[in-house]
Amino acid sequence: MLPVAGEPAGDSWGMLACLCTVLWHLPAVPALNRTGDPGPGPSIQKTYDLTRYLEHQLRSLAGTYLNYLGPPFNEPDFNPPRLSAEALPSATVDFNVWRSLNDHLRLAQNYQAYSHLLCYLRGLDRHAATAELRRSLAHFCTSLQGLLGSIAGVMAALGYPLPPQGAEPSWAPRPPHSDFLQKMDDFWLLKELQTWLWRSAKDFNRLKKKMQPSAAAVTLRLEAAASDL
Amino acid sequence: MEVYFYLRLLSKTGENKRMKNSSKFQWLSSVIFLYLVNQAHGQKRGVPHDLKCITHNLKVWDCSWEASSRINHGTTYEICIVNSSYPCIQTEKTHFEIPALSLAEHEIKISSMHVSGNSVTKFILNERSVSLVPATLQIFNLTADFSTSTLYIKWNDNGSVLPRHSNVTWEIVVLYKEDMEVATIATLNTTLIGKDSLHHWSWTSDIPLECTLHYVKIRYYIDELHFSGQKEWSEWSPLRNISGPPIKENYEVFPQDKVVPVGSNMTFCCVVEEPVLTAQFGSERCSLIRLDNKSVAIEINNITVSPSSGTNVVFTTKSNMYGTVVFAGYPPDIPRKLNCETRDLKEITCSWNPGRPTGLVGPRDTNYILYERFSGRNVTYNRDEEHMNENHQLIFQMIAGQEIYNFTLKASNPVGRSEAVILVDVTRKVYPHTPSKLIVSDIDPTAIILHWHLSGNFANITLLCEIEINTAYSGQELRNITVKGLETSSYRVSVDRLMPYTMYTFRIRCSSENFWKWSKWSNEKQYLTMEGVPSKGPDIWREWSADGKSVIIYWKPLSINEANGKILSYDISYWSEEGKQHLKIPDPQHRAKIQLDRNDCIISVVARNSAGSSPPSKITSMEIPNGENLKVEQIVGIGSGMLFHWNYDPNMTCDYVIKWCNSTRSEPCLIDWKKFPANSTGALIEYDNFRSGTRYNFFLYGCKNQKYQLLRSVVGYTEELAPSVAPNFTVEDTSADSILVKWEDIPVEDLRGFLRGYLFYFEKGEKGTSKIQGLESGRSDVKVKNITDITQKTLRIVDLQGKTGYHLLLQAYTDGGIGPGKAMYVVTKENSEGLIIAILIPVAVAVFVGVVTSILCYRKREWIKETFYPDIPNPENSKALQFHKSICEGSSTLKTLEMNPCTPNNVEVVETRSAAPKIEEDTEIKSPVADGPEEGSDAEPENHVVVSYCPPIIEEEIASAGGEEAGGSSQVIYIDIQSMYQPQAKPEEELEKDSVGGAGYKPQMHLPVTSTVENMIAADGLEKAAGYRPQTHVTAWNLDSPDSPRSIDSNSETVSFGSPCSVNSRQFLIPPKDDESPKSSNGGWSFTHFFQNKPND
Repeated sequence: MLPVAGEPAGDSWGMLACLCTVLWHLPAVPALNRTGDPGPGPSIQKTYDLTRYLEHQLRSLAGTYLNYLGPPFNEPDFNPPRLSAEALPSATVDFNVWRSLNDHLRLAQNYQAYSHLLCYLRGLDRHAATAELRRSLAHFCTSLQGLLGSIAGVMAALGYPLPPQGAEPSWAPRPPHSDFLQKMDDFWLLKELQTWLWRSAKDFNRLKKKMQPSAAAVTLRLEAAASDL
Repeated sequence: MEVYFYLRLLSKTGENKRMKNSSKFQWLSSVIFLYLVNQAHGQKRGVPHDLKCITHNLKVWDCSWEASSRINHGTTYEICIVNSSYPCIQTEKTHFEIPALSLAEHEIKISSMHVSGNSVTKFILNERSVSLVPATLQIFNLTADFSTSTLYIKWNDNGSVLPRHSNVTWEIVVLYKEDMEVATIATLNTTLIGKDSLHHWSWTSDIPLECTLHYVKIRYYIDELHFSGQKEWSEWSPLRNISGPPIKENYEVFPQDKVVPVGSNMTFCCVVEEPVLTAQFGSERCSLIRLDNKSVAIEINNITVSPSSGTNVVFTTKSNMYGTVVFAGYPPDIPRKLNCETRDLKEITCSWNPGRPTGLVGPRDTNYILYERFSGRNVTYNRDEEHMNENHQLIFQMIAGQEIYNFTLKASNPVGRSEAVILVDVTRKVYPHTPSKLIVSDIDPTAIILHWHLSGNFANITLLCEIEINTAYSGQELRNITVKGLETSSYRVSVDRLMPYTMYTFRIRCSSENFWKWSKWSNEKQYLTMEGVPSKGPDIWREWSADGKSVIIYWKPLSINEANGKILSYDISYWSEEGKQHLKIPDPQHRAKIQLDRNDCIISVVARNSAGSSPPSKITSMEIPNGENLKVEQIVGIGSGMLFHWNYDPNMTCDYVIKWCNSTRSEPCLIDWKKFPANSTGALIEYDNFRSGTRYNFFLYGCKNQKYQLLRSVVGYTEELAPSVAPNFTVEDTSADSILVKWEDIPVEDLRGFLRGYLFYFEKGEKGTSKIQGLESGRSDVKVKNITDITQKTLRIVDLQGKTGYHLLLQAYTDGGIGPGKAMYVVTKENSEGLIIAILIPVAVAVFVGVVTSILCYRKREWIKETFYPDIPNPENSKALQFHKSICEGSSTLKTLEMNPCTPNNVEVVETRSAAPKIEEDTEIKSPVADGPEEGSDAEPENHVVVSYCPPIIEEEIASAGGEEAGGSSQVIYIDIQSMYQPQAKPEEELEKDSVGGAGYKPQMHLPVTSTVENMIAADGLEKAAGYRPQTHVTAWNLDSPDSPRSIDSNSETVSFGSPCSVNSRQFLIPPKDDESPKSSNGGWSFTHFFQNKPND
């Protein structure tokens, strides 16, 4: 931030020197120097919007898909134990842990989660029996791919490296995967997707707020500095 | 032998005992004896008894006996078969095996040798006493197919050691659950074949085998006919149980992912350690059936079709959830409408309708295989998931040389299979592709070659194709052709009988000669055929010019069918004095002028197109003079045309020509002509442009030796119409009793028919009032004259009245109707003598009457004055009408009353009870009339009222019961006083009262008669003075009285009638009846005042 020299008040030379220093540093203030590069703000906003859109899209898809799975999967109070879905990245995290994450970790976790979820979702696409459902899933996959790209864009804009891309997890690690367990996995996949989208919306909202006031803060500090003089 | 003896002895002893048991002594001695015998017998216990023999295989008998175990030890036996060559057997055991003996009885001697002594026991043995007990079996193999819940059991029948052809009955028992309930008992029959053979038996369990333990045991029974001994079941085999489910499939719910037919009954079980709380099949809860301590089941009967992802079966424990999916569906329906055809004789396409949906999708969906029996080849249905429900077809590559195919379409899914068969001769099932690449090439003006492409190898068949030929003029034509099928797919065919220079549209479709289906139509191809030579010369006519120096040749353009191409020009040739002349006229022109200068010649016209010239059309210019007396005839047509007749004339050798023209057109007169053969005697001229109401001239020419002669000249209409204009007429002369009318001819083009006459209407009437337009109604006052002489141009109407207006109307008419009329209004000239008389007589009468009247008026002038102009006093001079200005200053409504001649009014009150107020009232009321205005100024304020009104006298009866205040009934005759004004002078005390009670208008509360009464009630009045309280105590008044309500004031002195001065109330301030003359009066007040205060008096 702007270094403000604290000369004793009343000293006119000191004031003049301070004023000169301020003027000298003005071109270096990032908030005043952002005419060309809009920064990561818009892309964060876009990612946030995309997250909300995906939430909406998932609501429709999940309704259709759970109806396809049949009762009890489409019953509102159905809450099975997470039997075989350990491989799915879980969005559930302790609040304190979540708060202690920095932006980079937050984004990296999002990125990793969605890249895994996307692979699983494509597996879901493979065994859906009806053509209409497959079309919906393919559409959602495309949107999710877009979100992944968006997150990568935000990370790049903030100067964070992308997390290493692991090998694509195969959807059937258990060879004789029964239809029922498959349905359970599908259920959990949709549920985790939803939770992740909620979490992402929160993450990006937080990030958005964090990015926005940075420019204003600089201006405020400048004003404060001037009044100090 | 000793044993035998003892046995005999014992039996004898027994008999003695029975004989002597009547004696007590004897009974006792017997007991003692028995004891002794028993002792002796005990010493002989090692002796064998109860010899039993069984056989397992009918070859060896296994015999055993009972022996005292106490003394058995150390005993050796020798078994000998008496009278047998079989050697004796030495053994220490109590059984022995001997080969099967013959059917006869055999004596077996068993000698027991023991340290305590020897004994010999004999037994009689034969086959009947031997039991056939088959050897106990061992289950050879027990396996389970868990996916189908089936047990498979194998065992060996030991047939090698058993007699051949023996019938064997097997009994297999399957037990399940921990307490070994019987799941099933099965009985099987086999026959032994003399050697060991393995037998199989399988059983499918209702409940999955994984749900609980299953055990199996087996026994059998040999029914050997030749064995006379007893036959018994073998012992049960040792129990075998199936090994549990494979460890790797660590499922808890069974069966897993099963596909079953709709309507099945199913049992699902859940094998878990913790207790199962609920079970759910689809969306319905099921009751639990406990199988054993860690397995529960549910039963589903008559299972229905599952949704596409299967029906879920879920078992819930306290902490977990287990489940499976079951797919219930139908077996595949028999494929319907199986049809196989080929489009190109290279591959066969078989299509079908799958019928009822199976309810199974994805990997469980129906699989189809098309199997060809002759070649043994098959094709598998490759499911295109995008079009899963639309297109069921399979393509089979044809085999060279094979034309008959026997197809079997096999449908199968996990719950069943079906098939359909079809035998196809592919050459009869050809549905060709759509022909393409249609190309046309020329042969000549009437024939073309059509080329097209039809993919496929049709070398072995003949194609039948249909060509559709379309022209704009002749419509559609279909031609069927047969083409030898080709391998190369390129076909061509010639199409003839076409018209030259005609735009054709071709398209084609094909089938095989053994017709099955037409292909689709190819795309259309438009083609213009080549030009041909014009087929005939143009139709020509010639007209001499008026001066006879030139001839104009006319010809008609050739029709499309005749022109056979685009006509480029017409060649005209003729022979004149200078020799043969040629003219070339380009196409759009269809006439040519030739200067002949009254010479005759033959003119020839030829039409030419790019293909050549037409045959020449010739005509001579010569004309034979027409005969004398050639009259112009009149003919009316038949609507669409004109009909002509003429007499047959053998001299006419060429033809007849009728030419016609519009008579109103200028020369040359020619619209069209028509030629008729020489032998004709009549013609109907029909011409599209003939119009009704138009006059045409027709000329009939006959041709004699190539020379034309005018035979008839005719004027005619195809249809006559009414004239379109009115005849123009004028009034030439009028007199007092006649009018001369003259009219002009109507132009021919407006006549629209042959003129048949005029109708002249005239009617007497004023100008502008004529109703002569409705003449046809035959009104009697309209006179009409029908002028049928069309040459007449004037008409004189006589017997008219002088100086009278007449409406005239003239109409022309034809056979087509009456045309419009021209109307005119004419006034006849007046008759002068009558006019003079008509003026003089009224003037004379008027003068006489005037003179008589003057005389009478002079004589009676006094009477007239009294009657019409009496002396009237001037009300302006009355002081009563001088208003006090301060009452309501500025009020515009207060004006000087306009006084009318008025007779004084009388008000008479007839009081029945008290006379005193009545007198007072009388004086009061009478005062304005009796006293002069000057007196009124000195009187009481109530008396400063001038009543000057001449109202009707209203007689009203006020009922005595009408109000409490009115002490009794009174008959009042009073005046409805509408105009009463405040006197100018007002005493000071009244002004004070005004100030006290003047806060507002207080009507009808208290009606004071005098000031003392007012003072008395002032306090009462004041408290109510805040506002207007109308009619509170005035129920005694007749409110219907026109003025009583509106003439009330608590302070009568300050009342201002008709004035809007009151602050609190407007109730009576603006009288509703008459705004201009404010009403109410103190006189009126006096009445009410009087009645109001009467009880107080």
